[in-house]
Amino acid sequence: MSALTVTDLRKSFGGLRVTKGVNLNVAPGERRLIIGPNGAGKTTLFNLITGELTPDAGSIELFGTNITRVPSRRRPHMGMARTYQIITLFPQDTIIHNVSLALLGLTPMRWNPLTDMRRQSRLTEQAHAALARVGLGHIAERPLSQTSYGERRRVEIAMALAQNPKLLLLDEPFAGLSIDERRDVQQLLLAIPRDVTIVMIEHNMDVALEFAERITLLHFGEVIVEGNRAEVVADPRTREVYLGH
Amino acid sequence: MTPLRLIALAIAALALATLPYWMSGIYYVNVASQILFFAVFALGLNVLAGYGGLVSLGHAALFGISAYATGYILQAGFGHPVAIIGALVVGVASMALYAVLSLRSTGIGFIMITLALGEILWGLAYRWISVTNGDNGINLHGRPAPFGIELTTATAFYYTTLVVFALAVVMVAIFVRSPLGAALKGTRDQPRRMNALGYHVWAIRFWACLFSGLLTSLSGILFVYYTQFISPQTLALTSSAEVLLMVISGGAGTLLGPIVGAGLVVIVKSVVSGFLERWNFLLGAIFVAIVILMPEGLVPGTARLWRLAWRRARGGGAPS
Repeated sequence: MSALTVTDLRKSFGGLRVTKGVNLNVAPGERRLIIGPNGAGKTTLFNLITGELTPDAGSIELFGTNITRVPSRRRPHMGMARTYQIITLFPQDTIIHNVSLALLGLTPMRWNPLTDMRRQSRLTEQAHAALARVGLGHIAERPLSQTSYGERRRVEIAMALAQNPKLLLLDEPFAGLSIDERRDVQQLLLAIPRDVTIVMIEHNMDVALEFAERITLLHFGEVIVEGNRAEVVADPRTREVYLGH
Repeated sequence: MTPLRLIALAIAALALATLPYWMSGIYYVNVASQILFFAVFALGLNVLAGYGGLVSLGHAALFGISAYATGYILQAGFGHPVAIIGALVVGVASMALYAVLSLRSTGIGFIMITLALGEILWGLAYRWISVTNGDNGINLHGRPAPFGIELTTATAFYYTTLVVFALAVVMVAIFVRSPLGAALKGTRDQPRRMNALGYHVWAIRFWACLFSGLLTSLSGILFVYYTQFISPQTLALTSSAEVLLMVISGGAGTLLGPIVGAGLVVIVKSVVSGFLERWNFLLGAIFVAIVILMPEGLVPGTARLWRLAWRRARGGGAPS
């Protein structure tokens, strides 16, 4: 059984066809890299997989369960988590509050209007553990507005990991990072256990190729090359549309 | 809570509890009652506008519905307990319908839908004369007497309003610190992210609307018992704008802000208007000054200035 199966997925915005029958099969525990030039439809594909966009046709299966019509808010409860290309956090709150919100999202306690959230010791412990995992435990109480870009990237990853996902979708996790920050995030991603399947969009080929086991090249909403690292890099179509000559 | 805040809270509580004894004249005790029930109204709107990011311009209609419901139930011959419970049920049920219609959108769309709903209800109250008695409104005769205490005097009514006000403050304080309150603030700041984290954004906003509706209904009931009269003017857009002004001027998304805002608006309307014919000009000028000098509102703005002054006085250190 595949972790993620995308079959003949199609999406148009008006007359613009952005996803043209994409097929994707990701094995459990696999590290899959999605590459492609700007406008290839990579983020749209993520938005379709997470349910933020509704496909015009095709199907999406998560560990054998058809989730094509499952509302996007239900998908995290089924083991899917994501990060965003543009960091999407709660800047007025502390780092730990951000991670606590991620944890809270999967528990029935999120409907509780009576208890004090700060007194939920179990939630706080889990949030601290998630932050320690990404090396931010020592600044857990710091307001997010007082953190660096690289730290915010790690908060995003901590929030996704805190939800114990079975499938993790990372949208350009290295974007905008310095060399040192990139190395930190890379170490962090390499340390994620194999029971988490990872699909990642990334432009930075130095770090991405080291991470990926299989690569899918998208171009104008279509998969044009797919294979292992060597196969995709050696393919002339990859050089033509993405890597350059 | 810091010791400084505890002391401030204790002083405020003591001042409110003893107000009829040190405030000279029944008129001012009545003004204090008005501040308190309008503060409950503003707290209700603040749940949506401040914590939920959903600015409603039709809240006075819900306030008015509860007031009319109280009047109708009493006119039908029922007692005060039935009238109060009935008005609360009608108010919250109306809010549920109002939420279903208005939560189809956010931002400008939400404002426009709530404005339209408010105007529809005002129009019904104004023109459906056979039901609402039109501009002549509905008169109430008598106030309830909980535990045998007659609320006919200004002092007794003030204390009843104070109890409801304290209850409302505690309810809002608990709610905003709760997981559901945190989720509501999350939907205000990053609804897309909240959805991706597994939250049902629409349902969270719907529950917030119901809570807001409960507080709005409570204040509507207090209002109608205070004035013993309800007319379409209560449901008008100016009333909705006034309560929104209370929330924004005091500080949306803070617990104290709407209370301070209610105090400001009611004092200018009820007290300053006695000395100044163009009192609404003054209110407008105050609002413009707040927006320019303290865009976050009086309470957060004052706190900001206090921190700044403290830092300067301490040579760069921040207060705890």
